[in-house]
Amino acid sequence: MGYRSTFAGIAGATTLAVIAAVAHAQEAPAAGTIVDGSLKGKTLTFVSYGGIYQDGQVAALKEFVDKSGVTLLNDGPTEIAKLQAQVESGNVTWDVVDTADLPPYVHCGKLFQKLDLTKIDVSHIPAGQVGECSVPAMNYGMVLMYKNDAYKDNPPKSWKDFFDTEKFPGIRAIDGSGDPIGALIEQGIIADGGSVENMTPADIDKGIAKIKALGPDTIFWKTGAESQQLAESGEADMVMMWTGRAMTAVKNGAAYTPVWQDWMVVMDQLTIPVGVKDTDAAYALINAYLGKQAQEILTEQTSYSPIHNEAQPKVDASVAAFLTNTPDRVKQGYQQNIKFWVANFDAASEKWTALMAGN
Amino acid sequence: MKPFRIILGLFCLLVAVWLIMPTLVVIPMSFNDKKSLAFPPSGFSWQWYANFFTNPEWSNSLLNSLKVASIVAVVATFIGTLAALGLSRMKHSGAGILRAILITPMVVPGVVLAIGIYAVYLNYQLVGTTFGFVLAHTMLAIPFVIIAVSASLEVFDVRLETAAASLGANRFTAFRTITLPLIAPGMLSGLLFAFVTSFDEIIVALFITSPYLKTLPVQIFTSITRDADPTVAAVGTIIFFATSLVIAAGLIIGSKSKRS
Amino acid sequence: MNQTIDTTTAGGSDPRPAGRAASEPRRWRLADYPSLLTVPAILLLIAAMAYPLLTIVLRSFSEPEWSLQNYVWFFSTPVNLTVLARTFSISAWVTIVCVIAAYPYAYLMTTVGPRMRLVLIMCVLVPFWVSGVVRTLAWVILLQDSGVINSTLKAIGFSSIRLIRTQTGVVIGMAQVLLPFMILPLYSVMRGIDLRLVQAARSLGARPALAFLQVYLPLSLPGVFAGAIIVFILSLGFYITPALLGGPRSTMLSTLVQSQVLSLLNWGRGGTMGVVLLVSTFVLLAVAAPLMRQRHKQASRS
Repeated sequence: MGYRSTFAGIAGATTLAVIAAVAHAQEAPAAGTIVDGSLKGKTLTFVSYGGIYQDGQVAALKEFVDKSGVTLLNDGPTEIAKLQAQVESGNVTWDVVDTADLPPYVHCGKLFQKLDLTKIDVSHIPAGQVGECSVPAMNYGMVLMYKNDAYKDNPPKSWKDFFDTEKFPGIRAIDGSGDPIGALIEQGIIADGGSVENMTPADIDKGIAKIKALGPDTIFWKTGAESQQLAESGEADMVMMWTGRAMTAVKNGAAYTPVWQDWMVVMDQLTIPVGVKDTDAAYALINAYLGKQAQEILTEQTSYSPIHNEAQPKVDASVAAFLTNTPDRVKQGYQQNIKFWVANFDAASEKWTALMAGN
Repeated sequence: MKPFRIILGLFCLLVAVWLIMPTLVVIPMSFNDKKSLAFPPSGFSWQWYANFFTNPEWSNSLLNSLKVASIVAVVATFIGTLAALGLSRMKHSGAGILRAILITPMVVPGVVLAIGIYAVYLNYQLVGTTFGFVLAHTMLAIPFVIIAVSASLEVFDVRLETAAASLGANRFTAFRTITLPLIAPGMLSGLLFAFVTSFDEIIVALFITSPYLKTLPVQIFTSITRDADPTVAAVGTIIFFATSLVIAAGLIIGSKSKRS
Repeated sequence: MNQTIDTTTAGGSDPRPAGRAASEPRRWRLADYPSLLTVPAILLLIAAMAYPLLTIVLRSFSEPEWSLQNYVWFFSTPVNLTVLARTFSISAWVTIVCVIAAYPYAYLMTTVGPRMRLVLIMCVLVPFWVSGVVRTLAWVILLQDSGVINSTLKAIGFSSIRLIRTQTGVVIGMAQVLLPFMILPLYSVMRGIDLRLVQAARSLGARPALAFLQVYLPLSLPGVFAGAIIVFILSLGFYITPALLGGPRSTMLSTLVQSQVLSLLNWGRGGTMGVVLLVSTFVLLAVAAPLMRQRHKQASRS
């Protein structure tokens, strides 16, 4: 009890100090700053993808809700069409939207506001992750999980093995939840012997053909819940999974092992739609979210890695096993060519849809 | 003939199992002790029922559904009964065509209707409003009311009303005292069908829902796609037993009134 | 006293002295034009069905610009044609499965005692007692590789079969949802068939199979036909079941409509697919309606 109140006292004092500092400076309030009672009577709707992820985000925002007095509503999953409709009709009910990594680049300025960086503090975010219309919501990975029984002494070690159906027979499960997975197509091109240095749209077909060649048994899971279920029930021999779901599956007893070589770096993005009723309140939410403490809570509740470089979450071994921000993991990670996929979004989407529909 | 009967019986038993299995399998899943849908459940707990009643996301969606479905049931029964009465009294051939038009919502593919309604509602800012839900669901429910009331009107002799009128009753009195009691069972089943249509509707609801107004099927669907959450099984079990109670009560009251 | 007033008010007479005389001609007219009673329903249908559908039809021609480009795209893209054909073939399979399962079942319903019949009817109605979405989840639990069906198969010594995310799984799930729509019309037709006709045929020397084929089957066909049309048409528009039970090779047109509109923000193409689905449905209905009527006449004549 005593410890807690001391802790709260320190936190309160820090906040006060920060507020005082902000009052004097013209720059953005430090990440994590929350002004007491500043949003009393206001309502913000936070939209994300549900599951342990959104639960963790809500937990990370709890201090923001308690202090600012805002009423936080949650919705999801994020659907860009719903957002488009809201923006076009001028009736935007989503205030802060957590999206996949491409949409803020594809629809920047049209659906998503260009961010005013004097209103949020992005100085602690990993290099190269702040977009014109977005800041990262967290970092995570798309990791290859293989079933221990299926490949006893000779487990797959890379995506190349994932695409090698002769040496590594078995059922594959792939993310079919929506947008094309650029990184997987790129890995397909590499496995096909091609290069992703100077990709052209024609290369998309090569990558897709490689995915198709995985065979008719390939499972395209539509939700994270489904991928988790696939691992827990042992239905697939290799599952391409989000690290958060992979961790939960292992916790629930799935006998699977992750392959970290070329794990696909993914981030969710935080965005503010064009036309929200109270832009400043939305900025306040994002700035609170980017804070060190909020990021620590987020990571402690999910397996997602913090996007605050000083965050030191206290996590147990099973969670730490799936964190992606350790120096080793950072080296092994594979980053898709965002520019290429944004430029070829329509073509990639059409080909991906055809793949999803079994054609 | 005997072996034929046995084969027929076995076949039908299989069909019956096929019909009721999905309903029954939900019940054990609802007592799962883990947040998983693997069968059989590994242990027993009531936590998913507790979650349903204490988690506002679930309880609010139930209340929303009850509210929307109740309004829809009343409005659709009123409008549908009027239409059925009109149709039954129309002499010319137009009646058949009009009837066909009025029951088209039953056959229009759900997604097509849903994207159309979604597009229109966006223009008129009806997404996520009670009025929007009631409007769409009433349209979907009217055919069921028309069919139910029409069925009870088929056995009804219009001359009864004429007779009452000739005995000095005004038209409304004749309607109230003769027609209404005779078509009441049809209206009641229409009311029930309308309620269930709205209470169970998912496709249009998925498109026109908002964080401020979520119906139970939307909440169930979201939950299924987010997590393997046995709360869905608990909801299914609750609905199953609630419906069973209503039907059992109906059967008992029915048999009692028959006896007396 | 009070009661008298209540009765007259409820009886609908106007409290104003001149009311009765004034309102008499209006009532007369309403009785003359019973079609006016359908006006509220028609208006509602226009607002909530016709107008939205019209919007979709317009968008299929007008987005991104006025032309037939979306239709050209639809019919020149192989994946669309594959999915369209698949939508029809899945619907056909569901219909066939329903006919095969429902025919003996409905027949049994007509030949058993009232108690057993109640049990059989209950089995048809029980599926309606849980929400449709919950039922689809139940099918996931039943069909998944570690699900009830495969566990049972393994327990009795068979190898497991892949059901979830297959066309077979989708057909099993859809047919269960639609089976009542086949059983009920069949039962209502079969209940009306005079079994003495079959007995007469048998007493004239026809073997049971022949008596069935020549007498009973033709008489029951209108029920088969009505049920099959309903099941087929409802199958075409299925969305939730294939989405949750199916895999890529069981994607139906509804899912493509949804992904065009919700994932790709392409209302024109999504609308085009919707129009194709809509037109297919109504063409089928238009073809089937006169056929059904004809069958009915034949049945009543013989």
